[in-house]
Amino acid sequence: MSHPLELLWAAVGAMGFALLFGLRPRDIPLAAIGAILGWGSYAIATESGMAAAAYFIAAALIGLWAEIAAVIVKKPASIYIVSAILPIVPGGGMYRTMLESVNGNLQGSLQAGFETLMAAGAIAAGLAVSSALSRLLSFNSIAKRLKPRSKR
Amino acid sequence: MPTSQAYPDPEEVLLLAADAARIVLESGAETYRAEETAQAVCSALGGVEAECFATPTGIILSFFGQDARVRSIVRRISKRSMNLERISRVNKLSRDLYAGSLDFDGAAAELGRIEQIAGYPLPISLLAAAMGTGSFTLLFGGRWNDALVAALVGAALVGAALVGAVLSRLTKELTRRRSSDFFTNIVGGAAAALACLAAGRLGLSTNPHTAIIGVIMLLVPGVAITNATPTPATW
Repeated sequence: MSHPLELLWAAVGAMGFALLFGLRPRDIPLAAIGAILGWGSYAIATESGMAAAAYFIAAALIGLWAEIAAVIVKKPASIYIVSAILPIVPGGGMYRTMLESVNGNLQGSLQAGFETLMAAGAIAAGLAVSSALSRLLSFNSIAKRLKPRSKR
Repeated sequence: MPTSQAYPDPEEVLLLAADAARIVLESGAETYRAEETAQAVCSALGGVEAECFATPTGIILSFFGQDARVRSIVRRISKRSMNLERISRVNKLSRDLYAGSLDFDGAAAELGRIEQIAGYPLPISLLAAAMGTGSFTLLFGGRWNDALVAALVGAALVGAALVGAVLSRLTKELTRRRSSDFFTNIVGGAAAALACLAAGRLGLSTNPHTAIIGVIMLLVPGVAITNATPTPATW
């Protein structure tokens, strides 16, 4: 991590967006912890040279944290994911892709566009893995809840 | 729950389920959540078989009730604005219906209350936008002055969006000619970039690009990214 304060910025930024998304105050700390986990793991993984994997690891960690929080407070996990994922969303990559193409730099635009696509794909995959894992673990309880209704 | 229990009118249940699904979609939830919500509401209120198919722009719901007749409804989604509290409340509503701690009338009343939930008032939204864009600018390598520029531009952007929303609600004719998200994003993005670059020219911002990136996070559909995640149930 280039600077420990980065974790603070990730948390404050996620809290700002959580407020914009109408998240209630009692849920905001959980989203902020998710953002810290996500950015921290992303920064560490990037430093050890894993470019796309960093996004995957961070997204999977955020997803797992949100699923755990969701079970405890009985709220949908995605309300925490939406805010906590924002620091690692490759906004800069999208911007650079557009900037390079407007400047007529095909090579640079393709490079930035490819990196951005990889990052977006890795984030989606990380979230899908954590969500699928939590479904797998809670499958029995869901099936039990769904069954007894059909007695007619 | 006894089998002889009188279930509410199937037509009403269908409308309630469609409304619940519509509210979560309009609040920015994933399509699979809307589908599961509609199915859970239907089957908790006497649906023998309920199937729902949702996309970000619409819901198709069919309901096979105790009287063995099939009903269906289609709802289009035209407006969308993030509200995580609404999603969370509808989620609780369908859980409670399923657990039996909430009946049809209670659910209908709660859904009406959920629809009234608004975002935070203007001052808090402005502060939140400034917090979000400023910290992200620092995160993306900007300096303090860049973050300050981003915070001001971000707050102005959100302020303009909220004022615009209030104005279009006041003048009903404008809402019928609804402006597309695409157009809003282009105008907002251009205004934000112009403001940040101007700040750079004036020497207020050392690296205006980091400020622009921080501000456009407001326009980046983080929701679209999470919602693009394939439905786990289909894996």
